[in-house]
Amino acid sequence: MQKFLLKNVDNPRSTDIREYRKSGGYKGLKKAVEMEPGKIVDEVKKSGLRGRGGAGFPTGMKWDFASRDPNFPKYLICNADEGEPGTFKDRHILERDPHLLIEGMVIAARALKVGRGYIYLRAEYPAAEVILDKAIDQAYKEGLLGENITGKGFKFDLSVHRGAGAYICGEETALIESIEGKRGQPRLKPPFPVNVGAWGKPTIVNNVETFSNLPLIIEIGPEEYSKIGNPDCPGPKLYCVSGFVEKPGVYELPMGTILRDIIYKHCGGIKGGGKLKAVIPGGISTPILPPDKIDCQMDFVNLPKAGSMLGSGAVMVFDESVCLVSVCMRAMQFFEHESCGKCTPCREGTGWLSNILERIENGMGRNGDIELLLEVASNISGKTFCPLGDGAAGMLLSFIKYFSDEFDHHIENRKCMVN
Amino acid sequence: MITEEIIKKIQQKKGDYPVFRSAIMSALHEIQNTEGWLSQESLYKVSGMLNIPPATVKGVATFYHMYRHVPMGRNIIQICTNVACMIMGAEKLVDLLKREFGIEAGGTTGDKRFSLVIMECIGACGTAPAMLVNDDFHDNLDEKRVMDILNGYK
Amino acid sequence: MITVTINDREIKFDKAVTILEAARSGGIKIPTLCFFEGLEKFGGCRLCLVEVEKLPRLQTACTVMVTDGMVVRTETDAIIRARKAMLEFLLINHPLDCPYCDKSGECELQDLVAQYGAEEGRFAEGKRRHPESFDDPIIVRNMERCVTCTRCVRMCDGVQRASAITVTGRGDHSFVEPFSGGRYDCEYCGNCLTVCPVGAIMSRLHRHSYRAWFVEDEIETLCGFCGVGCSMILQMRENTILRAIPRMGMGINKGLLCARGRFGYDIIESNRRLTTPLVRKNGELKAVSWAEALGLVAEKFSEIKEQDGGEKFAGIVSPELTNEDNYVFQRFFRETLFSNNIDSIIRMFYAPAQAYFEGIFGQGITANLISGIGKSDAVVVAGGDPTKINPVLGLQVRAASGNGAKVVSLSNAAGLKRFASSEPVARSGSENFLYSALLKALIDTRGLPGRSGSIEQEIGNIKWPNDEEITQRTGLRKSDIEKVAEDLKDPKNISVIIGPDIMINNGLMGLFLIAAIIYVLDARIYLLSERPNEQGVIDTGCMPDTLPGGRPLEISSFREKFEQEMGYGVPGQKGLTLFEMFEAIGKGDIKAAYVMGDNPVFNLPAADRIREAMSGLDFLVVQDAFLSETAKMADVVLPAALWAEKDGTYVNLERRIQRLHRAKKSVGGLEGWQIIAGISGLMGSRMEYNSARDIWEEITRASHLYGSVSYEDLATDKSLWPYKGEPLRSGKWEIKIPEEVVEKTGHGCHVYPDRLLFHSGSFSRYSPALNSIQAEPYAVMHPDTAKSIDIKDGDRIKIAAANGWSIELVSKVDNEIRDFSVRVPNVFEGVCVMSLVDYGIEPGTGAPVWKLSDIKIEKVQ
Ligand SMILES: Cc1cc2nc3c(=O)[nH]c(=O)nc-3n(C[C@H](O)[C@H](O)[C@H](O)COP(=O)(O)O)c2cc1C
Ligand code: SF4
Ligand code: SF4
Ligand code: SF4
Ligand code: FES
Ligand code: FES
Repeated sequence: MQKFLLKNVDNPRSTDIREYRKSGGYKGLKKAVEMEPGKIVDEVKKSGLRGRGGAGFPTGMKWDFASRDPNFPKYLICNADEGEPGTFKDRHILERDPHLLIEGMVIAARALKVGRGYIYLRAEYPAAEVILDKAIDQAYKEGLLGENITGKGFKFDLSVHRGAGAYICGEETALIESIEGKRGQPRLKPPFPVNVGAWGKPTIVNNVETFSNLPLIIEIGPEEYSKIGNPDCPGPKLYCVSGFVEKPGVYELPMGTILRDIIYKHCGGIKGGGKLKAVIPGGISTPILPPDKIDCQMDFVNLPKAGSMLGSGAVMVFDESVCLVSVCMRAMQFFEHESCGKCTPCREGTGWLSNILERIENGMGRNGDIELLLEVASNISGKTFCPLGDGAAGMLLSFIKYFSDEFDHHIENRKCMVN
Repeated sequence: MITEEIIKKIQQKKGDYPVFRSAIMSALHEIQNTEGWLSQESLYKVSGMLNIPPATVKGVATFYHMYRHVPMGRNIIQICTNVACMIMGAEKLVDLLKREFGIEAGGTTGDKRFSLVIMECIGACGTAPAMLVNDDFHDNLDEKRVMDILNGYK
Repeated sequence: MITVTINDREIKFDKAVTILEAARSGGIKIPTLCFFEGLEKFGGCRLCLVEVEKLPRLQTACTVMVTDGMVVRTETDAIIRARKAMLEFLLINHPLDCPYCDKSGECELQDLVAQYGAEEGRFAEGKRRHPESFDDPIIVRNMERCVTCTRCVRMCDGVQRASAITVTGRGDHSFVEPFSGGRYDCEYCGNCLTVCPVGAIMSRLHRHSYRAWFVEDEIETLCGFCGVGCSMILQMRENTILRAIPRMGMGINKGLLCARGRFGYDIIESNRRLTTPLVRKNGELKAVSWAEALGLVAEKFSEIKEQDGGEKFAGIVSPELTNEDNYVFQRFFRETLFSNNIDSIIRMFYAPAQAYFEGIFGQGITANLISGIGKSDAVVVAGGDPTKINPVLGLQVRAASGNGAKVVSLSNAAGLKRFASSEPVARSGSENFLYSALLKALIDTRGLPGRSGSIEQEIGNIKWPNDEEITQRTGLRKSDIEKVAEDLKDPKNISVIIGPDIMINNGLMGLFLIAAIIYVLDARIYLLSERPNEQGVIDTGCMPDTLPGGRPLEISSFREKFEQEMGYGVPGQKGLTLFEMFEAIGKGDIKAAYVMGDNPVFNLPAADRIREAMSGLDFLVVQDAFLSETAKMADVVLPAALWAEKDGTYVNLERRIQRLHRAKKSVGGLEGWQIIAGISGLMGSRMEYNSARDIWEEITRASHLYGSVSYEDLATDKSLWPYKGEPLRSGKWEIKIPEEVVEKTGHGCHVYPDRLLFHSGSFSRYSPALNSIQAEPYAVMHPDTAKSIDIKDGDRIKIAAANGWSIELVSKVDNEIRDFSVRVPNVFEGVCVMSLVDYGIEPGTGAPVWKLSDIKIEKVQ
């Protein structure tokens, strides 16, 4: 398949603006500046693009809300927090094709009449910061950022805001708090950021990959774009594959590619010819799937039907050698560590679940622990302030749903099934 | 010491935001970059520079786990143990580091050469296990490779 | 119209409210924990979850607004399970030390668990540990009990706006801490204690001595520490105060207090209280019976009155005493002693300032609701720090700033740092240059309003200082002043807050310029009031020249009508003002003085001279709760009751009349009016009062101003200005450029009283609690000042004045003292800064204006 998003990443000099231009870069922007802002919003709406950050919210609709808000200034934020374990697609673009992101953001700024933008970059990507800073510098020098962009009289300033290690800051309202210089805890919604966001102003937050789709949409037009992938949620999609496959990595494939194909066709199957035990399809906040559920399309519509979610498109593949109790425990420790502490069920519940899982993993599980896990998880589920807590509970419930025998074995035999 | 240069950088960063206080995270990063950690005095200085109440600065500084509140070694080994790395053997590497350097997670060697910090996912799951040493990225680790790499940090 | 159905009941609203409010208004209870009326919405505890039809998830009632047609259920099985679950989550890390916890019995978590129950013992691991913090004298923190509701932080950030505490860490390692992690070093308002639902932040004062069920009685009364007049509840057991707490929504403070109000109540129980009358015998004060003491006073007073007449008496009343005490005092002086020599410490600022502004703009011009400040679009502060002098009023200034108002601080107001949009502070003594420059700049930006030709004409006569002069004198640049004028260009709803330093620094000239600024801004006026009943002193006629109600006594028609109605005589000639009295005492023209509830030899400027004068009196009677510096000089000392031991009324700075309620029997003191009536009776004029109410009724007859405000009306809107008594005097709408009495020269250090947040007057020093926060005076100065005299922070220094008087104390170098003065609190025993300053008298008002005698500061080894 033709590559749109990753077409430059294998070029070692891709971060340079000249190389980027050579491969057709900033053409989308050139076209966009000739368009009425409202027209750009319309095209994005028509394209059917859905946000790539995890929730899959229609980007055109978000933009429409934002552009209808009469308040100015507005702010544009790129969510480059990429905290979802298993995910490393945004890093690919940030480090290897930064101008793709910048171009996408400038198009968005033009469409939404925004004068100021930020890239909220996780502190775990120090190299990306250097690369982005350089790319932004170049873009300023070439008149693609700053005053009077491409001579068309619009202004857009962009800079990097570095996070400092907090998964929750990937959630857009927490991210906004963090940009404002506060503790990164999620805000009440409504009001939504498109109306009341950073510093109380309308704010549009999109993921790195989402922005990176924009030059393409503008260049080839929404009709052509929506022919790529699943018509319900079209476009190219970056899938990050990790774990026990022959060729892990980031794959650009049409949205809706079959999970089995990703594993067996694109990634060369299970490592060392091993046997598939389970897959997490969208990062550890999404429910795990057993091998008999992998014939589904990987997109925002079909994965939920199979009992999971697309999330960030982070496919984690486990073969028979992996102890899923320890995976579950480690995942829960992650949620405990990353819970922001704002709401009771997530703050206290994730810690409690970790405790129980740790004792099971360490061979000190008790009768009734599985029931307790289920009950505590359902006491979290649906009751938290933001989706982080739900993700933790959903993850755990899916592990027990499909792999309770492993948990039982741990408790009964005080040791692991696999090692 | 918070140098003139840091202060200048922070002043500059203020210009990025409509409200000065939003430069706080940058300010903390700048100071940590030179001092290695954030002392109470540093937090107090940031409070003064950005006109933010000291307690508020502390609240922010302690929320994000990559701000450090104890002195660190010259090199910080930040090793990921999240799921993708764990199943690829990160735990073993952590055990090795603990043994080799005689420190616990969060600890610093007596000679201040290394501090060991356990990380959540650092976005290298496809090439796991992975670690950051200071700002340098290293992946596809195994026991030998880790030690070879660390030999390069004095 | 919005119609909501909650548990099958339809409820209608004309505006959107939260589900919680909707439910409460329909009498439906929804449990809450992180919600607290008046604090920013949070939605974190998840206890208030309810079901809303058509929405997939449970919703938090405290944050979700109702919409038309919404159907809500609050008691389904799923909800009850969710509530239990949340409680269980809260308990897994919560120590079950209820028997040991002071919060027991009034803990919201305990109550919720009692109501909903929680699964027990399913949590097998150890609980989160965090040692209790005893680093603070006043507040104990036990973070193991914290439920992370953040009510305390939202209170401190959003209402008190001190931002002294924060949640540190995150997730299940979230703890509430002050910056230091130990001691708070905050404003100690204690408002975080009020809102903590559990025993995580508690007062240390009654640690392990308080249980909710110990409380036998709760008395609602007023705080006696300043002129805001906050309401609070004294919780009593066996005639002792267990604690003072505010009640949310109660009083003008709506449940907020400052450190003095919340913790300073322990002076009532101080072991230094006077318990019996004292009489000087052979040079020493000896305990005697009430009969003996009062008999002696009556005898001496009768003797002097007979021999020399009423002019030989000086009477000093107190703005710390009630209207009833003060009224009876003036009656005693006028009727029994036939003297008009009655005055008080409010001569220093409140009385002359009010008279001045009323003369221009009309009677009652300073009677404005404190809550109006927060709603202003600009606030100008001059002559003091409202957040220290009247802390709960100060919160309104901060709130205004939070609402986007421009706050301009023209004085050293450290408590407004972070809230002021501009803070041009002139060098001490040069404020008038700043005021006139500002006036000029405001006329340039806003123009003259054209409301009064005569005021504008006089403004036209002002000799404006030129720019260089302004900069040279004040140390401010032209742009500083332009910035202020710019800030104040457009606002329409402006509050001007004026503090005592304006009078002592700048005299009438300062008031004149501020009045002109007020005129140009068309602003509301607030006078800061250091003591609880300054207005009441004026209203009850405790002035040498006015009758109760404020009419001038020298106008014979007023006086005669008064005498007729009240049945007692009043001398026809006005008496001496406070400072005239001391001059007269010094010259031997006055023989006897009665000081009721004040400490002039400590509190008044040139205290050394006043002390010397007082020592020449033939007979000095001091009525006080403590053996003050003045009481130590007395011939007779009469122990007095303090406010928690009294009934009666105070009038606050908004001119709101409020009632005190007696919470306990005094340790030995009597109320002022009881003592005075006793003496008067012995001197042959009987006063028949049985209670404060009797006196109040007499006051309302004497003061037409109070009109028909009955004792019962005192908690209602009727006790708010205007009381609908007699018609109000209108202002003259003219001002005259006053003459400057005291030429301000010299560029050395000038010493001023520092007005503290943790103390007020000279008796808060008897509060162990307040002393535990600040027990010692210090001399605060700007780093530049300190450098120029080679002093470092924490040095022990000696400050000596030209009059030979000196004090010794510790220095505190602080760049918040921006006017280059040296500030020393006039509170603590042995450190009387008032001895170091001298004054000139402003002839129009009798108020003292500071002379800027240069002082010498040196380090003591
Ligand atoms: C706990 C949590 C973590 C999230 N982390 C990320 C993230 O790291 N990167 C991201 O782009 N979106 C993340 N999101 C989604 C964002 O809230 C938001 O939906 C997204 O940035 C919107 O951009 P999009 O519409 O382009 O996807 C996260 C959401 C939640 C609830
Ligand atoms: S679910 Fe609650 S505690 Fe967890 S991250 Fe979201 S808001 Fe914070
Ligand atoms: S006592 Fe007042 S100032 Fe101090 S932390 Fe509590 S609320 Fe804040
Ligand atoms: S200390 Fe009290 S008020 Fe503050 S967060 Fe904890 S429980 Fe809530
Ligand atoms: S899990 Fe280690 S880098 Fe992603
Ligand atoms: S009371 Fe509503 S969430 Fe806490």
